[in-house]
Amino acid sequence: MRKSYLTVYVLLVLSFVSSLAAEEIKFGEPIELKESLKISNILENPGDYMNGLIRVEGTIIGVCAHMGCWMEIAGDEPFTKIRIKVNDGDMVFPLTAKGQNAIIEGELVALDLSKEQATMMKQAECEEKGEHFDPDSVTEGITVYQIKPRGVVILSE
Amino acid sequence: MKWRKWNNLLHRDLGYLFFGLTIIYVISGISLNHKHNWNPNYVQNKQILSISPVSETSPISEERIRRITDELGVTSTVKSTFQPEPGRLQIFLEEGNVSVDLNSGQAELETIRERRILKELNYLHINGPRSVWTYVSDLYALILGLLAVTGLFVLKGKKGFSGRGKWLTLLGIVIPIIFLLIYL
Repeated sequence: MRKSYLTVYVLLVLSFVSSLAAEEIKFGEPIELKESLKISNILENPGDYMNGLIRVEGTIIGVCAHMGCWMEIAGDEPFTKIRIKVNDGDMVFPLTAKGQNAIIEGELVALDLSKEQATMMKQAECEEKGEHFDPDSVTEGITVYQIKPRGVVILSE
Repeated sequence: MKWRKWNNLLHRDLGYLFFGLTIIYVISGISLNHKHNWNPNYVQNKQILSISPVSETSPISEERIRRITDELGVTSTVKSTFQPEPGRLQIFLEEGNVSVDLNSGQAELETIRERRILKELNYLHINGPRSVWTYVSDLYALILGLLAVTGLFVLKGKKGFSGRGKWLTLLGIVIPIIFLLIYL
């Protein structure tokens, strides 16, 4: 009798654990939009997408190593990407999600950076790549576009 | 029953009941308190390696990617790849990722491992589950307040609140105020 209880218990735990491993990871609200936009189109004409919800999908190429508060998605065109950014704790993107595909639904947000802020951002990028940074290379502020997500699904591998 | 008996009964039994949650918040609290010094959820190891420079222009072929991972001695399965710019290649693996400077052949291999148990404790601490856990953790906070108040009145006399207890309590209130005055 005890053996059969133990067997059932072990099977239940195993099925629970395996279901955890196989599932997608979801954050926020369910994705409602059916079609994804091309990230290259968004970056070329951001003004067209500023009002209302948009949906994008792509490979996760970067994740915030500290609080998981942002991730970057590869664009459809070579060398393009877009950042998905939340306030600390709203969503915590797993570092191990790099390389997996994700679907994001949210609002496109314009971030106007002053020259000082743009300098700090470029400096951080160069440090990450191990490259020399020339502060004089930043001559003015820039506008950066990122997505504030309402819902995110990280697809299973 | 006298009020002090009820006080002590409540303090004792709530103390037993919420021992587990308190330990969870202790461990995860210290872990998250030092998040500027370490990654509380993951162990990240980085290794600098070298490969032969790659002259192939974008996009990098799958065959070339396979040769790069072979040269690096990487056996982990490749999930996907990305080129952030023409001279760089990122290869995402099952257990980490590689960032390659194609022109120089310098590569950085990063392995990522979850801090099992600790990551889960941190997840509870920051209210990761949301929904019902929000109310559970709110209830715990209230019970912790109750434990603090009942703790004041466990003992009578010189060792109780009316004796040295009030001075220790006052000290416990003054210390955070001093920090606020200094740093705020």
